Amino acid sequence: MSSDSAAVELANVEHSYGDVTAVGPVSLSVPAGEFLVLVGASGCGKSTLLRLIAGFEQPTTGTVLTGGRAPRPGRGAGLVFQQPRLFPWKTVGGNVALALRYAGLPTDRVDELLAGVGLHDVAHRRTWQISGGQQQRVAIARALAVDNPLLLLDEPFAALDALTRERLQEDLRRVSARTGRTCVFVTHSVDEAVFLGSRVVVLTARPGRVALDLKVGLPRDGLAPDELRGLPEYAALRSQIGHAVREAATVSEKAIGPEGVPA
Amino acid sequence: MSIIAPVRPTTEPATGGARTARAKGGRRRVLLRVVALLVLYALWEITARVTRNPVFIPGPGAVWHQLIVTSTTHDGVRGYSGHLLIEHLGVSLRRILIGSVIGVAAGLVLGVVMGTVGWIRVVAEPVVTFVRALPPLAYFSLFIIWFGIDETPKLWLLSIAALPPVAVATAAAVYSAPTGLVEAARALGAGRWQIVRDVVLPNALPEIFTGIRLAVGVAYSSVVAAETINGVPGIGGLIRDAQRYSQTDVVVLGLFAIGLSGLLIDALLRTAETRLIPWRGRS
Repeated sequence: MSSDSAAVELANVEHSYGDVTAVGPVSLSVPAGEFLVLVGASGCGKSTLLRLIAGFEQPTTGTVLTGGRAPRPGRGAGLVFQQPRLFPWKTVGGNVALALRYAGLPTDRVDELLAGVGLHDVAHRRTWQISGGQQQRVAIARALAVDNPLLLLDEPFAALDALTRERLQEDLRRVSARTGRTCVFVTHSVDEAVFLGSRVVVLTARPGRVALDLKVGLPRDGLAPDELRGLPEYAALRSQIGHAVREAATVSEKAIGPEGVPA
Repeated sequence: MSIIAPVRPTTEPATGGARTARAKGGRRRVLLRVVALLVLYALWEITARVTRNPVFIPGPGAVWHQLIVTSTTHDGVRGYSGHLLIEHLGVSLRRILIGSVIGVAAGLVLGVVMGTVGWIRVVAEPVVTFVRALPPLAYFSLFIIWFGIDETPKLWLLSIAALPPVAVATAAAVYSAPTGLVEAARALGAGRWQIVRDVVLPNALPEIFTGIRLAVGVAYSSVVAAETINGVPGIGGLIRDAQRYSQTDVVVLGLFAIGLSGLLIDALLRTAETRLIPWRGRS
């Protein structure tokens, strides 16, 4: 993949907190439109990698480019965190409107954006009056409000109950297939990785390095979630990636010892 | 980018049972308070009758009588020292209001600056704590020397007394702005000023409001000190004059006027708080 068409380009990226190396070196090229899932055991530095791509952290060595430029928060990428991180002093609609206002866009599309993530009649509500799953939907709507080429998600469904998580996964899969946005999604769940990703990268334990880089050949749309999960290829990918995740974790533990990483 | 599956908002189940239980608890509390007041009143009445020394402990009847005397014109004398009780109270409340507004505004600005600029916090923190530890009466003498004995030193006193609680609360809340929400705003493209306006300040508002309630309380308890010199009209001046002439019943009346209006104002502030900051305790 040529680097000028890449949505995200990591070249020999390393990141340290003090003298603890959390990530790297990692080199990755994410072409536009790809749904990349970073998967690995907790503490392997996958969230750090995402924060580097978002521009919240600077690499200790190597370079990070998004859209050909050094990333900066709030420019070119929508971000969804593990917690919804909604502003409780704003209504649900106010939270989405804020994203539009910062981008200098008119704020009359709030209802439409909320409807886009399956929420109706909630714009006037307070953020604590809706359920956790709904809050995370609002966070996704907020991240999608501005037409950024890149969507970064840091374990967005990890804190939700299994049923809600599954529904949101299905909805996100549909959204990404429809919008064609480049997504980088961080998770520790193998199942989530196979279900969502068009490409899955398994990271080793700290310092996180690429242990496995796999294209997922499953169809992106046209199949119901249960049909997709029922495919034999799906099961094969799941066991392959699951094996890689377990192996990556144990190998590094032997090499570097038990983890205890700054978040 | 529209996803199908519409999701209806869930409503918090506010069961009727819980509501009536709360109402019952409220009624019990009111009853308990009324009973406590009656008991206190009875104790007061009994103590006053047993001691038989109205200069030491005036009975409730004497205080009630003074309420009527100071609120009306008797034998050509208007209220107490030429002003009705309500006028004394009004003048004091006006001083408290102006002093609190100035002190709160200054404390707010100082607190935001202290919370955001590191070296100013280092310099200002001990100064604010120093001022906070001083009894208002101690620096009042200085203000008398500087500003005379009229309205100015009183307002200075109340402003200076009201400033530290707001400054400290604001600085702490601004300084400890939640990283998660600041990051979320940055990810949406907020600039420095937008982060202060849309995240840091609203997040600090509950604590700032607590600071304001403290500040008004401090201004309240300082008003008597501020009115020890040339304090008539004013509720503090009334108490001081009454003490000089051993009119203990008027002193007690003055105390009631301050205490009850203080309760009222705190209740008003609390109502304003729940209206203005519905997200308090939620996040």
